[in-house]
Amino acid sequence: MTTTATATTPVVGFDQVSKTYGSVRAVDGLSLALHPGETVALLGPNGAGKSTTLDLLLGLRNADSGTVRVFGTSPREAIVNGRVGAMLQSGGLMDEVTVAELVKLACDLHPKPYKVADVLARASLTQIADRKVNKLSGGQAQRVRFALATAGDSDLIVLDEPTTGMDVSARQAFWATMREQADQGRTVLFATHYLEEADAIADRVLVLHRGRLLADGTAAEIKAKAGARRVSFDLEGEIDEAPLRNLPFLTSITVSKSGSAAGSSQTIRIQSTDADATVHALYGLGVYPRNLEVAGLGLEQAFVAITAAEEARQS
Amino acid sequence: MNSLIKLELTRALRNRKFLFFSVIYPSVIFLLVSNQTGNVDGSGLSVAKYVMVSMASFGALTAVLMGNSERIAKEREGGWVRQLRLTTLPGRGYVLAKTASAAVVSLPSIVVVFLVAAAVKDVRLDAWQWVALTGAIWAGSFVFAALGVAIGYLASGDAVRPITMIVYFGLSILGGLWMPSSSFPSWLQDIAKWLPTHAYAALGRAIEQSQAPHAQDIAILVAFFLLFAGGAAWLYRKDTLKA
Repeated sequence: MTTTATATTPVVGFDQVSKTYGSVRAVDGLSLALHPGETVALLGPNGAGKSTTLDLLLGLRNADSGTVRVFGTSPREAIVNGRVGAMLQSGGLMDEVTVAELVKLACDLHPKPYKVADVLARASLTQIADRKVNKLSGGQAQRVRFALATAGDSDLIVLDEPTTGMDVSARQAFWATMREQADQGRTVLFATHYLEEADAIADRVLVLHRGRLLADGTAAEIKAKAGARRVSFDLEGEIDEAPLRNLPFLTSITVSKSGSAAGSSQTIRIQSTDADATVHALYGLGVYPRNLEVAGLGLEQAFVAITAAEEARQS
Repeated sequence: MNSLIKLELTRALRNRKFLFFSVIYPSVIFLLVSNQTGNVDGSGLSVAKYVMVSMASFGALTAVLMGNSERIAKEREGGWVRQLRLTTLPGRGYVLAKTASAAVVSLPSIVVVFLVAAAVKDVRLDAWQWVALTGAIWAGSFVFAALGVAIGYLASGDAVRPITMIVYFGLSILGGLWMPSSSFPSWLQDIAKWLPTHAYAALGRAIEQSQAPHAQDIAILVAFFLLFAGGAAWLYRKDTLKA
């Protein structure tokens, strides 16, 4: 079958990009491509290399090796052409000027600017347009940063943990505005360490861990991988470990003896990608698990679980 | 870049404390110390004329040095400089905007000292001398604007204010802006005459004496300008790479 699609330039292209600080490899041989119109979450625990990745993408830092292209040009060129709007994590603002003055500056500096009044309205800043920037609350300042990132008609919007410090309602309002941006055909890339946020907003999730791309898929796929749960219970008496090891969806198991006067008992800890099915099968073995607990893994542990699974598959 | 310069200016003019220090304060000191009659030793200039140039230079120094270094250090740390790097503003645009806005504030601080001197102390000069004085002192202030930028990129956080103060008072006093350096012990005079502030004030005095500025003073100012501007550029690039 012949395709009519031309080789479209990716919005963002990383090719074997590495960045080291001292002895820390913040980004380690990262390759990825973003395509027009995607809403992409860059998911990872703190220290995974998310901010460094975005810094490289925005030309705030230079890679030690590899190439970073944005719309087929250097990051700086893409910014000068007005194609990228970005919101940095707790990025500084200019003090002692009003919100409207600062937004006007951002509009003046953008090659394809929107009207100041429209930018203010979209970021819900109209009411506080005359307030001094240094007198704003954390959430208000975050909205100003958002306004600076959307002062013009950019094709790519980059957000580094944009909802940090926002309460739940502010967070929802923020993502509603962000979705509008995506619906207008823009590519949106945001970094987050909330799996739920990635799940709710993004149609593609890149999982970053220790500077490497661990997974790349839809939110549902990542959720299945990172949504591992821990199941723990005690079994009394001598047990046969083999059937336990063959439980479905099990990724790891540890058995520890906890001998007491009443007789020997074992504590079993299992990690499972589908706890419901694992527990169901456990009862099917005809054992009587006591003190059964099922708990979610933190994102950090989930990543460790995915990493372990990946390594096991490779070896 | 013009919009950033405009905004920096708006901000500077809104800051009353800063305006007082750079525009009013030099004139106030001028009135306080220009009361003596007679001439300053070895210059052939009346006390009022001598102090007028000192204070105009001091005012310009205050305007370009005090505001910028601290603000640059703060905005660098706060991340505003990073945010600006995500706009079309060219890399040096930020520094140029800071320097330009400082220069715009320094001009009134020079002129106000002249107006006060002419109105209150009856200082009289030829028209060309007023114009040349204003131009020379204003142009010379760029040397110290570059120094302010360099300090802003060199120091950070709590260190920037004391460093700026030491440099500011050190240059003002040792350079003879507050009292004639001819009153210093001779070993101190030997040091003082190499300072940029000394050459800066000498520039103005030469014009008052209807002379061309001394080549040595101009050479010293140019050398310091190259040193400060080069240092600022180097520190700026270093900062950009690690930002």
